[in-house]
Amino acid sequence: MSSPRIPQETPHIKKEETSTMDTSSLHNGNDNGMPFPPSGPTATVPSSSSEIKQEESQISMSQSFEQPLAQGQVLPQQPDLKIIHRQINGYVGFANLPKQWHRKSHRQGFNLNILCVGQSGLGKSTLIDSLFNTNFNENATTDIDAKIDSLNIDGTNEDTDDNDQELTEQEEKDEGVKIKTSSTTIEENGVVLKLTVVDTPGYGDSIDNSNNWIPIIKEIDSRFDQYLDAENKIDRSTIEDMRIHACLYFIEPTAHFLKELDLEFCKKVHSKCNLIPIVSKSDILTDDEILNFKLRIKNQLDQAGINLFQPPIYKLDDDETITMANKLYETLPYAVVASTDLVKNKDGHTVRGRSYPWGVIEVDNSSHSDFNLLKDLLIKNYLEELRERTNNELYENYRSNKLIKLGIKQDNSVFKEFDPETRQLEEKQLHEAKLTKLETEMKSVFQQKVSEKEKKLQKSEADLFARHKEMKDKLNKQLKALEEKKHQLEISISNQMTQSPIAQKKKGFLR
Amino acid sequence: MVELKSRTKKTATPPVAAPEPPTVPPPVGIANLPNQRYKIVSEQGGYFTMMVAGESGLGKTTFVNTLFQTTLKHADPQRNRFSPLKKTVDVDIIRAELEEKNFTLRVNVIDTPGFGDNVNNNKAWQPLVDFIDDQHDSYMRQEQQPYRKVKFDLRVHAVLYFIKPTGHGLKPIDIETMKRLSTRANLIPIIAKADTLTAPELKTFKSRIRQVIEAQEIRIFTPPLTNDIKEDSTEAVAMEHARQLIESMPFAIIGSENTYDNGQGTNVVARKYPWGLVEVENDAHCDFRKLRGLLLRTYLLDLITNTEQLHYETYRKLRLEGGSATGDNDDPSLPVKAPARKLSHNPKYKEEENALKKYFTDQVKAEEQRFRQWEQNIVNERTRLNGDLEEIQSKVKKLEEQVRTLQLKKR
Repeated sequence: MSSPRIPQETPHIKKEETSTMDTSSLHNGNDNGMPFPPSGPTATVPSSSSEIKQEESQISMSQSFEQPLAQGQVLPQQPDLKIIHRQINGYVGFANLPKQWHRKSHRQGFNLNILCVGQSGLGKSTLIDSLFNTNFNENATTDIDAKIDSLNIDGTNEDTDDNDQELTEQEEKDEGVKIKTSSTTIEENGVVLKLTVVDTPGYGDSIDNSNNWIPIIKEIDSRFDQYLDAENKIDRSTIEDMRIHACLYFIEPTAHFLKELDLEFCKKVHSKCNLIPIVSKSDILTDDEILNFKLRIKNQLDQAGINLFQPPIYKLDDDETITMANKLYETLPYAVVASTDLVKNKDGHTVRGRSYPWGVIEVDNSSHSDFNLLKDLLIKNYLEELRERTNNELYENYRSNKLIKLGIKQDNSVFKEFDPETRQLEEKQLHEAKLTKLETEMKSVFQQKVSEKEKKLQKSEADLFARHKEMKDKLNKQLKALEEKKHQLEISISNQMTQSPIAQKKKGFLR
Repeated sequence: MVELKSRTKKTATPPVAAPEPPTVPPPVGIANLPNQRYKIVSEQGGYFTMMVAGESGLGKTTFVNTLFQTTLKHADPQRNRFSPLKKTVDVDIIRAELEEKNFTLRVNVIDTPGFGDNVNNNKAWQPLVDFIDDQHDSYMRQEQQPYRKVKFDLRVHAVLYFIKPTGHGLKPIDIETMKRLSTRANLIPIIAKADTLTAPELKTFKSRIRQVIEAQEIRIFTPPLTNDIKEDSTEAVAMEHARQLIESMPFAIIGSENTYDNGQGTNVVARKYPWGLVEVENDAHCDFRKLRGLLLRTYLLDLITNTEQLHYETYRKLRLEGGSATGDNDDPSLPVKAPARKLSHNPKYKEEENALKKYFTDQVKAEEQRFRQWEQNIVNERTRLNGDLEEIQSKVKKLEEQVRTLQLKKR
């Protein structure tokens, strides 16, 4: 099969992480004016394009399940099975299973990995801190300190001919985007959430940002790869979910349009993680401006075929929940204001907000911004759904593509409902085939042995007769010769004497 | 449920016109996460596959019907009691979709009719063990496919092993079977038809079974006990409940699909004897309620996760380790192919095979007899021919003698 890509890619990521620490990389060999080197690891390009294809096939499959497709899961014909449907009126107890899940999840805790993408100065850290009541810069364990890279001066260095440099290093400098991961643990009423924020400082800050998405997509993919690797390991007891569950994309509050970079990035990322676009620092836009801007953005995203995360609606949901779910989707992108500062509002209450001479913008006030909607979608009501979609759809699509590309063939025959009768029939056939084979084998061996033995016996019989004949002939010859000799002698004796009565008698005895 | 309600209420009313000043900053909403899980599971429903194992006539079918309070399968008196027992052990699956309080559970009950009914029960456990292994194997194959959106899962979450209420102890076949089951699935031994034992008898029987289980190192399923109990009172209560369940093991049960008036005007599921009423759901009469609590109400999820994370993983590990030992696939990033399915252990098939072999052995014997006869004939013929030759030889000798005499005479 083709060489495995997973172990190949991991060092790239490592390189990225470590090289951000390397201050020397700031001063040399940065070339953002050059196009992305074609010899570099472009693996993400075909994968993302086929990702879209894959998604199409998945969609069409769910639409028309009967139509067999060349790719994907095609279920073989299933045995006709009887399923009893009953409604239970008395007390049995299994309806308690969701409660058991509730307890177990409470005990185990939760985790969420968020990817934040947006130009510097759009208030990414402030928003995260406001959402989670944290102070990430102080509390979180950050594995890379990438603050410095915003100083990265673009395209000024002439030192582009240095081909001896490792590709990974060069490409990373080309893009000027770093990956910064921080984790923290938050507890509320005994429920624990392990939060990981993946920040991408440097995104959109260069003169040429055309390849800015590459390291970010690579980061998402490498996290998928890591999970895929862990899933295929023999010991899976320590599997850890590092996959990106949601991508907060920060849109600059220009009140115009989405920029090309924004669209390009959303196109690349929407099939790999739950995309939640945000208009940050929306306090500089008036209500009308926000409304128009949102509409325009929504249209642009629709036209580009970009899927945003949509809260699922269940049949058990009440009207309130359904209305809320629809509102959460329709209000996208969220225009948010974030702040961790405490200020006094006009009623004299202490609130989180920003105080201006003309008034106080309250972060937690639903009429001031969409902050609460974002919080509802991302944490309070749909965090687990974000994770579910990541696991069941986005990761599965990635995995299917990857495995097919590795040359692993889909065997649809294994997707069959177990049926004892079918199984018994199959086994009977197997057994009968085995018996027939056994019989043929034994018969042929038997016949061979019998005919061998028969031949041997026939031969020894023939031998016996032949030997007997030979000896008999020999003896008969001897007999004849003797008889002849005797006759001669008799004649000569009779000639010697006259007729002898004894000879006469002997002759009569012989014949 | 209470928490769920409070959640929907919160989302419905935005905290814009809160009469009291809200806490600043307001809660993040993490406390609601278990409710999200609750909602997802409620929507998805559940899957539960249970195997009932034990000799026929121990009330397995009745128990299943009692447990789910609905007749999933008619206890078939024709087969079980009066007609000659079927010789082969095969698998019977009841599939049902049950709905309780808007929650849907897909239930599969695996029965192996005819287990232990033969004279020679050597390897009678094989069909049970094979079924569990087969399902693990099937799931593993499905999981390895690039596209795997739809998976069929019949991994056994619990095996109820029915012990005959002899009052003596476990039979060797019980021990051997339980040993093999316990390494593959969550084993729950139960004493069937416990109304045939008096309370002291039952106590002795239980402790005897416990001793054997311990001595034979049979690992039975027990509710998980966490040591780090916080001040949380619900956790402590749960632990106490778990401890009580463990102490009652193996559960002694009776089953009935009939209801009777218990003398106080309430209809209860029970068995009626001239000397009294045995109530199924009476803790003083049997452990049915405890078992139901363990299986469904309290530890259903633990049974499922234990199956997936322990038993299935153990199987998978064994398979993959066995597979990689052959060395045909050294790349750890590629899923290892599961080995080919092994042939069934149906004793009938073995018998047929043996019959065929015997037929040929007989044929060989018959042929050998013929050959011996043939050889004998050849020997006889040789003797006859030798006699023939000897006769001629003697004639020759006689003639020689005569010739010699004649020659002498001639001189």
